[in-house]
Amino acid sequence: MTSSRCKATWKWPLLAASLPLSFCASVVQAQEGGRWSSGALLYEKVCGHCHKPEVGVGTLLEGRELPPEYVTYIVRNGLNAMPAFPASFIDDESIRLVAEYLASLQTQAIQP
Amino acid sequence: MAQQNNPVLPRGVTQATFEKALEAFRALLGEENVLAQPSQLTPYSKVMMSVENDAHAPSAALTVSSVEQVQGVVRICNEHKIPIWPISTGRNFGYGSAAPVQRGQVILDLKKMNRILKVDPDMCYALVEPGVTYQQLYDYIEENNLPLMLSFPAPSAIASPLGNIMDRGVGYTPYGEHFMMQCGMEVVLANGDIYRTGMGGVKGSNTWQIFKWGFGPTLDGMFTQANYGIVTKIGFWLMPKPPVFKPFEVIFENEEDIVDIVEMLRPLRISGTIPNSVVIANVLWEAGSANVRRQTYTTESGHTPDEILKKIQRDTGMGAWNLYAALYGTQEQVDADWKIVSEAFKRLGKGRIVTQEEAGDKQPFKYRAQLMSGVPNLQEFGLYNWRGGGGSMWFAPVSEARGSECEKQARLAKRILHKHGLDYVAEFIVGPRDMHHVVDVLFDRTNPEETARADACFNELLDEFEKEGYAVYRVNTRFQERVARSYGTVKRDVEHAIKRALDPNNILAPGRSGIDLHTYNKV
Repeated sequence: MTSSRCKATWKWPLLAASLPLSFCASVVQAQEGGRWSSGALLYEKVCGHCHKPEVGVGTLLEGRELPPEYVTYIVRNGLNAMPAFPASFIDDESIRLVAEYLASLQTQAIQP
Repeated sequence: MAQQNNPVLPRGVTQATFEKALEAFRALLGEENVLAQPSQLTPYSKVMMSVENDAHAPSAALTVSSVEQVQGVVRICNEHKIPIWPISTGRNFGYGSAAPVQRGQVILDLKKMNRILKVDPDMCYALVEPGVTYQQLYDYIEENNLPLMLSFPAPSAIASPLGNIMDRGVGYTPYGEHFMMQCGMEVVLANGDIYRTGMGGVKGSNTWQIFKWGFGPTLDGMFTQANYGIVTKIGFWLMPKPPVFKPFEVIFENEEDIVDIVEMLRPLRISGTIPNSVVIANVLWEAGSANVRRQTYTTESGHTPDEILKKIQRDTGMGAWNLYAALYGTQEQVDADWKIVSEAFKRLGKGRIVTQEEAGDKQPFKYRAQLMSGVPNLQEFGLYNWRGGGGSMWFAPVSEARGSECEKQARLAKRILHKHGLDYVAEFIVGPRDMHHVVDVLFDRTNPEETARADACFNELLDEFEKEGYAVYRVNTRFQERVARSYGTVKRDVEHAIKRALDPNNILAPGRSGIDLHTYNKV
């Protein structure tokens, strides 16, 4: 098939309009892009699954007052087994919020 | 944008054409959703495989928020012959993460499409978009106090149900074979058409997530582990939350016990007495996920000697094999099944049963019980700390659920891994008739010499297993073409015939599962 034939079969506006969308009434409002409403929530739902003291998988972060720039660098680049997260998952503002939140917590004495 | 800002280009695409495509993408999606700066692409480039990130570097990434935008993207890709690599959340760690199968492909990031479209507590199903995570869905179910239970893989909290189902991933509950529980999908085809499988094409239908098959050919499976369309909605069935959940572990002391374990287990699985995807984890899987680190026992390079594995067993009480399973139902049902199961283990004459009451909050029992009851966690990522350095590739051959076969595969894998100075870190999972034999090839990716060994090891695992008639059910993006060859030319001919029909411009993830009109020359 050539590209011109592809263009000939291009009909998304028509189809999109004709599809049944009755379920939309029950759509649950989702998180907006990579924006998290608070650093505490982001830590609870993502970072803390590895980094909380009782988990012991990732490096302890609580109370370490890590600069937001450093946290941003690690979140975007990953580090060894830590995955990298794009802005669609966690945006820059949310990283700043979680860095602030972590700095506000008590320092944990024991490193995993 | 200047040429130096696009050091990576899609295969066969000139800088000028790429610029035109980027302009069109910006017009469609807005500047902020077209990512082409190296710093913006870094998060999409990190892999855990035995190659440099650069080998799988994308040329750009697009973030989209609607089906209409996905349609617009494929229109532009057709016009400029731009290959795209769709991801839902890109959390397929050890299988390629978010990075494309071929360097230069443009990532189509669907994370912003993250609406839970429907959860029906009566019919027990969900319909979600690609960017929804298991954690998001779990929170929705909890907040609304719905009597439903999720099934997910170990990276549950941050992974996407759609992505996991599309890669035919597995979980740990009675609904653990995830693709078996899928019901209805919406696919944007390469020509922009929107195709809904099963009952989804019937105007006014309310059975899209109820009845899988619809009428005529049933094509859902064709879109999994494939590159024939971009799935923008997926339905799947949810298990009713049982009134009683009883997880348990059985600890076996010796490696050779795997034969008896599997033989004893198979009838219990096939009869449904044990309903969930049972896991049989070896000592290093068990130790790693409980935060035991190799450096505690040795700093020598190479594989970890068996004497050390025995010492870990003595120190921790872990077995050479550690079986995790659970019973679900009313108290009466669970009591009756527990009698059958516990007596079967007693008759076996080996294995030490541990119940939740005995284990308490001890790891890894705790996270295993959470996985078997649909509670998200990431505890299993402790595996990556066993050796450290961020290298991980899943080698996942399929085995009969027959003791002699599982033992044969375990011995073969261990021998090859040890030859390359790496450890056998493995579990058998799912059943009832098959076992996914999942081996985590862990290596220090910061060490080039060890990374090269891991690469050679993975190749040898594929080669030697193939000689015995074994093949993997899933593989990372470095070895997709290699594994496709294991499944024969007729299958590949059919797959490419479908590709020519549905995606003649080869724009959708060329190279996925070895399907690529550009490189597959057989006519």
